[in-house]
Amino acid sequence: MHQFQAEVRHRDGVAVIDLLGDVNAEAEQALDAATREAEAYNPNTILLNFTNVGYINSTGIALIVGILARARRERRSVAACGLSEHYQEIFTITRLSDFMRMFPDEESALAEQPAV
Amino acid sequence: MHDHHEREETAPEGASTTDSSAAGAPAPTAPATQPVSRDAEYWAKGVTILHADQKPSDGINLNVTGRRVVSPIQGFGQMWEKTYQVRLAGASVTPEEVVAVWKEEFPSFWPSGNRFYRPLTGIRPGEVAVLNLSMAPMVRLSTGVMVLYADPESFTLMTPQGHVFAGWITFSARKDGDVTVAQAEVLMRANDPFYEVGLILGGHTRENRFWEYTLVSLAARFGVDGQVISEYQLIDKHRQWKNAKNAWHNAMIRSALYDVTRPVRWGAQKVRRSS
Repeated sequence: MHQFQAEVRHRDGVAVIDLLGDVNAEAEQALDAATREAEAYNPNTILLNFTNVGYINSTGIALIVGILARARRERRSVAACGLSEHYQEIFTITRLSDFMRMFPDEESALAEQPAV
Repeated sequence: MHDHHEREETAPEGASTTDSSAAGAPAPTAPATQPVSRDAEYWAKGVTILHADQKPSDGINLNVTGRRVVSPIQGFGQMWEKTYQVRLAGASVTPEEVVAVWKEEFPSFWPSGNRFYRPLTGIRPGEVAVLNLSMAPMVRLSTGVMVLYADPESFTLMTPQGHVFAGWITFSARKDGDVTVAQAEVLMRANDPFYEVGLILGGHTRENRFWEYTLVSLAARFGVDGQVISEYQLIDKHRQWKNAKNAWHNAMIRSALYDVTRPVRWGAQKVRRSS
């Protein structure tokens, strides 16, 4: 088990949420708090940085769906970076990738601004 | 294990943000060295188009093969998260044991009249089951589910196009102090406007009863007279009208058409045999 943490940074109008640890049911509170903190700056895009995530279960995917649903309601885009091939595949199977662009790293995601 | 499926080869519909290379974005390449994720064996792999071989003698296999699975984002209606829990107080059973029994005997906990035709290999990641659901007297719905995720303490079923809702259901168990708690959690959106109306006009209540019955049955399996605690949370009250076209795949309409035209097919078959 790796205790989940989420920290928010703002770069070039994008709210970057750095995720660290296991994304499962126990991540809900921290992820929700980070998302609200990110939204407070009214960014056009929220970038979820998965570089330091080594475990996601189906409850974790449901949490990400919640973020995506809320962002779409607010006409905000959500992107992801740092996903391993395994998680890229999970995002494709669960069809999160239909609405969330995936980038290899933070720099390439920000380089796509404002497209992300 | 995954021979029931095909890898999808066509671009997903409405996927303007999906194909990153086509959109001019850098391809999401993986880092040079990647450790194997601890969850890797629990997820379905390479499955987006379903294939179900089951030929139930007392049911029909319709609206599954060739369909794509759909997340709540692809649905039409309001997005709901529903949680049903039962405490197995007094039962000396671990969460792993509860989930193992739940997987093994999954259909036996359902209300009568509803059938779950599981694959021969059981509830494993990537496998597809056929469902025949009783929606009303004389009205049955044939659809299916894919096992999206399965670990020792939980498993998740994801629905295909045409199912009543787009989304998934996670069945899990955990310890709360000395008591094991079993839970079903549904994250859903009605797939199309017809289903949305149906859910408003009693469908939600029927679905809630379905899962409450299931949890009471599961508790009884462990000798517990269970009381189900249900919570419903509206995640997104908006309806996604651009997804109203999902009605084309509506499995209830297609199942009804199948049943209504059964005499015609039977007659045609008889004519072919006699000629």
